[in-house]
Formats: sequence, C-alpha cells, structure tokens
Amino acid sequence: MRLRLTDIGVRFGARAALRDFNASVDGSKVVAILGPNASGKTTLLRTIAGLQSPTVGMVELDGRKVEKLKPHALASKIAWVPRVAEVSGSFTIRKVVELGRYALGPSRQRVEDALAKVDLLSRSESLWYEASAGMRQRAVIARALAQRTPGGVLVLDEPTSALDLRHLRMVGEMLRQCASEGDIVIAAMHNISFALDIADEVFVLKDGQLVLAGATKAVLTPSSLGDVFGVDLAWATDEAGNQHLVQP
Amino acid sequence: MNSKSIVILIFLALLLVAAAIFRLVITRSVGGDLSFALPDEKYVMYRLVPLISALIVGSALGVSGMGLQVLLRNPLASPWILGLSSGAGLGVMATMFAEHSYGTSIFGGQTIGALVGAVVSLLLVFGLSRRRGGIDPMTMVLVGVVISVLCGAGIMIFQHLVPMGLRGSFTTWLMGSLPEVESWWRLGILGVVVLFCISLIAWWGPTLDAACLSDDEAKSVGVNLPQIRRRLFFTSSLLAAIGVILAGPIAFVGLIAPHGARIVMRGSHRSLAIATAIVGALLLLAADDVRQLIDFGTGRLPIGIVTSVVGGLVFLVLLLRGRGRV
Repeated sequence: MRLRLTDIGVRFGARAALRDFNASVDGSKVVAILGPNASGKTTLLRTIAGLQSPTVGMVELDGRKVEKLKPHALASKIAWVPRVAEVSGSFTIRKVVELGRYALGPSRQRVEDALAKVDLLSRSESLWYEASAGMRQRAVIARALAQRTPGGVLVLDEPTSALDLRHLRMVGEMLRQCASEGDIVIAAMHNISFALDIADEVFVLKDGQLVLAGATKAVLTPSSLGDVFGVDLAWATDEAGNQHLVQP
Repeated sequence: MNSKSIVILIFLALLLVAAAIFRLVITRSVGGDLSFALPDEKYVMYRLVPLISALIVGSALGVSGMGLQVLLRNPLASPWILGLSSGAGLGVMATMFAEHSYGTSIFGGQTIGALVGAVVSLLLVFGLSRRRGGIDPMTMVLVGVVISVLCGAGIMIFQHLVPMGLRGSFTTWLMGSLPEVESWWRLGILGVVVLFCISLIAWWGPTLDAACLSDDEAKSVGVNLPQIRRRLFFTSSLLAAIGVILAGPIAFVGLIAPHGARIVMRGSHRSLAIATAIVGALLLLAADDVRQLIDFGTGRLPIGIVTSVVGGLVFLVLLLRGRGRV
C-alpha cells in the first residue's frame, strides 16, 4: 500500500487552507501531523480520507485517485476518525461501532474485538448521548477498527484529545499494532510526547504549508518546533532516562 | 429485527386494532348521547372510510416526519413544521380555485397540486437553511415557519378570491378532517402508494442509521449521501402530500409519531419506520376516537383541532426538555 499526495492545494473561497503539499507514505507506518491551530491539519486529513476534493493536485492510493473511489470502495480502504463525532440518533455505543460495518457487511466478531480494544465492551449498551467525551472518542476509534481492512489506511483527527492517560496509552499501542499489520496510520495531534512515542514519521504544517517532514526523532527538536509554534522548548530527561520536550 | 422489537410491534398493532374497533362501535346520536354498537350495514361505510383514511394519513405523516428528521438531522423536523403541509395545502387550494374558475375538475389535479406544493416548500426550506455548505437546524425550523406562514397567506388569498358560498368548504378543509365519503379506488391507490413508500423507507433503514452520522462520517463508512437524500426527499414529500390530499393540513402527527416510536423502541430505522407508521396511524385514530367523545353542542370537532391541541403541548414539552432526538 502506498499513499501519494501530489501538489495538493485546497481553497475555501479566497482562503488557501492547504498549499503545494507533496508527500508519499508507505504501509506499516505511523505518521503524525503536527502544527498550530488553523495550519491545515484537518483539511489535509479530510483530503487524504476522500472527504474533501483538492482544488488542485491529487491523492492516490496504490495509483488510484481517492476522490474517484465509490463510497463502498472508499469505506473498504480508508477508515476515518473525526475530532468530534456527531451522532443524531438514539443509538447505543455498540450501534455506533456497528455502523463501521455498514458497507462491508455485519461482523459481530469485528465489533466485539474493536470494543474490547478500546475498553468499551462493558459499556457498549450505554446510550451515545449520555456517554462522556472520552467514551465517544473511544467509540469512534472502535468504529474505525471495526471498519478497517488490514493493509488499508487509518486517518485520525486528534484521536486522543479527550482520553485519560491509560486510554491514551491503549490507543497508542493499538495504532502501532495497526501499522504492524500493514496499515498506513495518519493522525493529527497536539500531544508532541505522544507523537514521539508512536510515530515513525512526522509532517509539520504551518499556514497551510508543509514546513517540516521526516523521521520523528530527527524532525521534532526544540529549535524546529519552537520556530513553528513560536514558543521556547527544551529537552528534559525523566527518571527512566526518556527525553521529553518541555517549555522551560 | 430482534425479538424485543417484534414484541413491541405486535403490541402497537394490537393497540391500533383496539382503537379501530372503538372507532367502529362508538356512536354519538344527534341528541348527543353516546352508545357503543356496530352501526347498521348502510352506515358502516361512513365509519370504515374515515378509519381507513386515518390509517393511511397517520402512517404517511408519521413516516414522512421520520424521514425528514433523518434527512435534515433535526428532531424538530416534520411535514407541518417545515411547511410541507402548508405547501401541499396551497397546492390543493390553487387546484380547487382553478377548478372553480374553469368550472371543470382537473384529472389528478389536487394530488399533483399537493405534491408540487410539498416538494417546492421542502426545496425552499432546504435551500434557504444552508449556511457555509451545511444545514443549520435552527435556521431550518425558522425558515419552515416562514414558508408555512407565506403558504398560509397564499391559502387565505385563494379563500378570499372564491365566492362566499365556497369559503365554508375551504375553511373546513383547512381545519383538517378525515373524509367520511371517499371512493374506494382512490383510497386503495393512495393506500398502496403509502404502503410502498413506508416499505421503501424501512428497506433503507440501515442507510438511514448511518446517515445519522455527520456527513464526513457517513461518507467514510460508505453511505452514498446524495442518493439517500434524494430518495428521502421525494418519498417524505410524497407521503406528506398524500396526508394533505386525504385529510387537509393535519398538524403535529408527523412530529410526534417518530418521537413516540423512539420512546418505545430503539435501534435500527428499519423497525423504527414500521413502529412510526403504526404510532402515526394510532395517534390519528385515537384523535378521531377522542373527537367522537367531545361535544360542545356544535357538532364534532374537526380532527385537526384535536391533533393541534395535543400535538402542540407535546411539541412544547419536547422543546423544553430538549430530549428530542433523531
């Protein structure tokens, strides 16, 4: 599986949300998308997921244009996790996860496995509109897990913004496992420590343009990120000897 | 469909049968006395026609409301709130006026008039509620109310234009009433169309479930959104139009029936569509039963008044509690 983005540009009226984006990603990789607010992260992810047509350029998956894929084919190749999910029915958590199988046929086993992976099996009969933000976020991740085809693409927009530390770790391990099964995992995030932990590669956006790209450890340095985010950063070492980026 | 859903549907169907039997046997004499007995054979038709009309209209309005609530992702959507009923009513009025002016009936005139009125109203509401490429639910309800008012004004203009003698029948029609005289073939055709539309919407149930997600999410799980929206748009308008053709503008059944069905049944829109059809028919039949029981000495109340009073109160409760969900 190879994802290729060529000269991608997306405009909303007069505003350019994304400009001249070129990149390619191979399977079995976790890619973190970082950048300040309104830098084009969500637009990039929506374009990759086939939910936003680029104004110029093209997104190809194994040589096929993503925007030309029919809904069923799109669902079988790319699973999408939004930053905030919207469910307007009186559905249970389980029902929301089952919707991931809409185009691919029901699979009780896949749904059970997905619920278990995000620690929601015991809460699966809770109603969506009564669930906490963290539960909803895990449910939507579970929906993508139930939907994904190993070797496909998993696109996540800030998938851990509402998660506690235990579930953050759980989702991190789960994303790594998906990559080990051949998936391309692309996730926007603000948690730089999390990106350092799980990502093989990182794309850093600013004002709709790709300003940094490459192997995570090489790209995420205090000086490079300080320039992008406009803050002072430094390395700090914890008791276990792990390095973290902190604001001094 | 799971066994719990089947049990609930059977229970609702039994309630519907009970309401239908009650409608058949309840009698109010000219003097105002109530009695319960099957009518003479020659009068049975006058009870069977409104009974069957209530089944057709109630189920049509209910499922139309459910379709609109999914289509617009708005728990307050209904044929009446969104101006479909008023639009259909204006179409019927325009046709009645044209028939009166030319002194001849137009084949299929009222049916076509109602359908055109309903579709144009929904197109206007849909178009005017769009903001930044999305639909704003509150704007939609407000636009629906405005369209309703404008159509109401149009209806009043037609009322004003016809001779005095004809205004009474226009006014009665506007209150909403179940017909006591109607040709069987017309009832049959409308009934079959309603049954077909409800079956289609039930068949699309899994797609309706997935369409309850945001546009991005629905598309990402494989829903062909433009296609299901076109389908729902047309079938919901057709169902609302049929309700208006048979009974005039009946308020609130399209709003209350889907919510009533959701109170007793959760899950897929496949079973929910069937439950909504039964609850809609049950609501209208129960309203018809209630109006047989009330007599202010001026004859029976038009059924539209009963549904407006009961539905208005339920609508208010839904708004205040903020519990209405698609």
